[in-house]
Amino acid sequence: MRATRIVIRRRLTLLFLLATAAFVALTGRLIWIQFVRADELQQKALEVRMRDIPVEARRGDIYDRNGQLLVTSVSTESLYAIPYLVKDPRRTAEQLASLLDMKEERLYQILSRKSCYEWVARKLKPETVEKIKGLNLPGLFFVEENVRYYEYDSLAAHVLGFTGIDNQGLTGIEKTFDRELQGTRGRIVVEQDATGREVPGALHKYIPPRQGNSLVLTLDRTIQQFVERELDRVVEKYNPKLAVIIVMDPRTGEILAMGNRPTFDLKNWMTAPQGVWDRNPAIWYNYEPGSTFKIITTSAAISEGVVKPDDQFFDPGYIKVADRYIRCWADGGHGSQTFEQVVMNSCNPGFVEVGLRLGKEKFYSYIKKFGFGEVTGIDLPGEASGIMIPQEKATNLNLATMAIGQSIAVTPIQLLTATCAVANGGVLLRPHLVKEIRDPEGNVLKTFQPEVVRRVLDQDKARQVAELLQAVVMKGTGRNAFIDGYRVAGKTGTAQVVGEGGGYVSGKYVASFTGFAPADNPRVAALVMVAEPQGGIYYGSQVAAPVFREVVRDTLHYLQVPETPGLEKPKDPFVYFDQPPVKVRVPNVVNYPLETAQNILREVGLSFVVRGEGSIVQAQMPKAGAEVLSGTSVVLDLQPPGGKSKEGLVTVPNLTGLTITQVATLLASMDLRLEAVGVGEAASQNPRPGERVRRGTVVRVEFKPGTSSLQAPPAIARPVREFVERP
Amino acid sequence: MRLRRRPPDFILFLTVLTLLSIGIVMVFSSSYYYAMFPPFNNPFHFLVRQSIWAIIGLTGMFVMMNYDYWHLKRWAGILLVLAFALLIAVLIPGIGTSKLGAQRWLNLGPLSFQPSEFSKLCLVIFTAFGLSRHPERITDFRQGLLPYLIIMALAAGLILMQPDLGTAVTLAGTIVLMLFAAGASLVHLGALGVLGIAAVALAIWTEPYRMKRFLAFLDPEKDPSGSGWHILNSLMSLGSGGLLGTGLGQGRHSKFLYLPERQTDFIFAVIGEELGFIGACLVILLFVLFIWRGLKVAITTPDTFGSLLAAGIVSGVGIQAIINIGVVTSSLPVTGITLPFLSFGGTSLVFTLLGVGILLNVSRYSAPK
Repeated sequence: MRATRIVIRRRLTLLFLLATAAFVALTGRLIWIQFVRADELQQKALEVRMRDIPVEARRGDIYDRNGQLLVTSVSTESLYAIPYLVKDPRRTAEQLASLLDMKEERLYQILSRKSCYEWVARKLKPETVEKIKGLNLPGLFFVEENVRYYEYDSLAAHVLGFTGIDNQGLTGIEKTFDRELQGTRGRIVVEQDATGREVPGALHKYIPPRQGNSLVLTLDRTIQQFVERELDRVVEKYNPKLAVIIVMDPRTGEILAMGNRPTFDLKNWMTAPQGVWDRNPAIWYNYEPGSTFKIITTSAAISEGVVKPDDQFFDPGYIKVADRYIRCWADGGHGSQTFEQVVMNSCNPGFVEVGLRLGKEKFYSYIKKFGFGEVTGIDLPGEASGIMIPQEKATNLNLATMAIGQSIAVTPIQLLTATCAVANGGVLLRPHLVKEIRDPEGNVLKTFQPEVVRRVLDQDKARQVAELLQAVVMKGTGRNAFIDGYRVAGKTGTAQVVGEGGGYVSGKYVASFTGFAPADNPRVAALVMVAEPQGGIYYGSQVAAPVFREVVRDTLHYLQVPETPGLEKPKDPFVYFDQPPVKVRVPNVVNYPLETAQNILREVGLSFVVRGEGSIVQAQMPKAGAEVLSGTSVVLDLQPPGGKSKEGLVTVPNLTGLTITQVATLLASMDLRLEAVGVGEAASQNPRPGERVRRGTVVRVEFKPGTSSLQAPPAIARPVREFVERP
Repeated sequence: MRLRRRPPDFILFLTVLTLLSIGIVMVFSSSYYYAMFPPFNNPFHFLVRQSIWAIIGLTGMFVMMNYDYWHLKRWAGILLVLAFALLIAVLIPGIGTSKLGAQRWLNLGPLSFQPSEFSKLCLVIFTAFGLSRHPERITDFRQGLLPYLIIMALAAGLILMQPDLGTAVTLAGTIVLMLFAAGASLVHLGALGVLGIAAVALAIWTEPYRMKRFLAFLDPEKDPSGSGWHILNSLMSLGSGGLLGTGLGQGRHSKFLYLPERQTDFIFAVIGEELGFIGACLVILLFVLFIWRGLKVAITTPDTFGSLLAAGIVSGVGIQAIINIGVVTSSLPVTGITLPFLSFGGTSLVFTLLGVGILLNVSRYSAPK
């Protein structure tokens, strides 16, 4: 008995010690939880209890350079649900379905979700909001959000860009400057209990949103409207695949206007095909610039001193590089001409020669200095950098074709930026679209100054190039861009579209014009590019130059740029307007092939107008021997008098001076047979020119060694199609 | 009997009253937000009920305090039979009521009653009575241990069928501790311990919800909104308290329904959040004080019955407190077990206070220091 009591006491003491040890251990556990892990657990608890409701910031406005509002934000209401407060999800879904144009099942899912906050529908129309409010449904609430409002539906659509449902910038300026525009999202933080109820004395924090900053663009709404107007006209006239117009201030690199076709309505961008809204052709489209690129060739050549404006060139109509013949756009060539005339005439062999004189290293260095092969760095997303044959792989033939703007792809913005460098005295500027960033109160936060990328040309060299380009518009291929009262400098270009495989696609062209005005003190530079115009006309001089003229003329007037007095468009395009017209005798061109006839007229300083279709001049007006002023147009009638001969009679052409190949080609085209005697140029023929003979008649032609050293190129017989270049 | 009656152990009495008061205050603090909403719509719902139970319990305690404990020997057998009858009755559909998937309550008019709480006390009385009759037999496995183990296993088995693992474990633990106190062979108890662990493991293994809880104990982050929810929110509540706590009635995490079972099983987490480490330690200290004074009574009581009776009552409270706090602090896997004196719950409170009444009565006859 006694022993048991002792055991019990000992055991009970032991029990007490064990219990105490257990409690000490638990206290240790408490120390771990309440001290060591306290902060972490407290933070976690707070996160569990706090519900964050985002409050959208009002997105900043976008203005044009004159403070005209282009894009703003207006408030709208969005519907959200607090599911546990929704009394009857099934019925609520049923009532909302038709109003919101949503599936009832989907609404039911949203409304019966176990969460404290669910979006039902965002950015609703006011009338829908009114209707839903009228239903007085429990658990549904509206919150104010804002939605983009565009003052002009599609004005500068690609430049401005649009935003997504959360007001995030998706394209254009909206994307590039998203961080500035979006502002700082606010928050409502509410403490809630585990079932989603707001608790009494809940921690409430309202962190107000901060409105986004505003942007002042370099765009000028009025100039942009000129551009949009002209683009609409281009579409109406040519229905091209793409059309781009960019207007830039060559002194600062500021983009005054930038437009594309096809375009889209910013409000309803989703209804436009993706290819239309997701890229901005003005900065993205790679194309062969063709003759417009000769600005670069000219600049390089003048700058390097490999050519002077009055250097003499001779264009036989082709030039042989490596084993290929590169033809001039003008059949038969431009003959003897100065370099100024080479530029004016956009003479391919002349430029090829200049390009070869420059050599690969120098030419490439200028191409790169002008910014080709790399992005301009314009403040827009999605810029392309063009395509260039790597310098180490470029052959002489590549060099020759690049000199006339082929075998190289550029973007419109690159070419215009390069043009601006010539215009402003030789400095390449970074093109930009945003002038200022302002805070919501209107204080200027940041001003974007013109940014010099590098000097490309010396000032005097740039001046010389500008003068050459002025000549192009005054009296060369760019005459359609002439603006009364202003010195306009520029260059036309027509290039073939490069297909998927790399070869040219026949019948598809890119017509372009790039230039600036006034040439001696440029205020405006512009580029017009029309890709794949429809309807047969595709020359840059015909399609793009007039568009340039319209845009730049209106812009110059709008900007109140003073006119140069007495500067009028020369009536006679191939005649120097500062040379007084002289009396000339009209030569006979009847029965001559059209090209020969044109060359004959050109040589004596006469212009011409072609009427009808055919290859042989049937009649001319004024007649041969008449005395007229130089520059007068001679009407060349190609239709045989009295229509096409019913009996199958053809008129024998005048073959004098043609090579044997030319004669053969010409006669073959008229179903006449050739009997050739001798070598050289055609000296005499039988039947005589003008005689009417049956098809199939043999024409006997005697050839004698010609007076000119001109060796007939095999180009006609073997045309190198891809090198045909036109103004 | 031959002993002189003295006033009960005052410190023990005061300790219990303090714990009880803290309990009532904390039940109110933790429940009023919950009770504000349907179906209660009355923030005082739990406070009023707990107060009523406390008064009933205290009355019972005073009665037992003055009812000399050795008279209980007479009732030991009857109480045991009654306990088993009720434990069986509660399992019979129609008689027992189930709440939250467990059939634990017997409806007695407006009140409901948990037979398991009652049976705990009955088994303690019976075991103390049995062991004190032949204290020397305790070292004999078949005669000294086996009968009590069988009775215990039967009772615990019935409780497990409700199912109520927490109470079953408390009951088993209490009886085993009594056997230990009575001087059972450590070899026997060691073997029993292994068996017990195996039994618990089996109980966990066979019941998917227990398995889930056990896995959640090992990695609560794995399913934070499901099986890990209890323990994670308990820890967050405790962690939010820090040293001084958020202040009485100011606990946010525990109160706003993140913490489940806030006025019952997890009331210690509410204390930890609102009264901080200081408050939690105070509660732990009060339990240590209770165990100390209670075991002191057991040690100083002249007769073995009183000694083992006191030891059983103290063990029951102690084990329950340790397991409960262990669960709340994520030291043990979640088992539904209340914190004596503090958790809301009528039957538990009343029978715990009845037990304390018996303990206090024993203290009146223990030798003064």
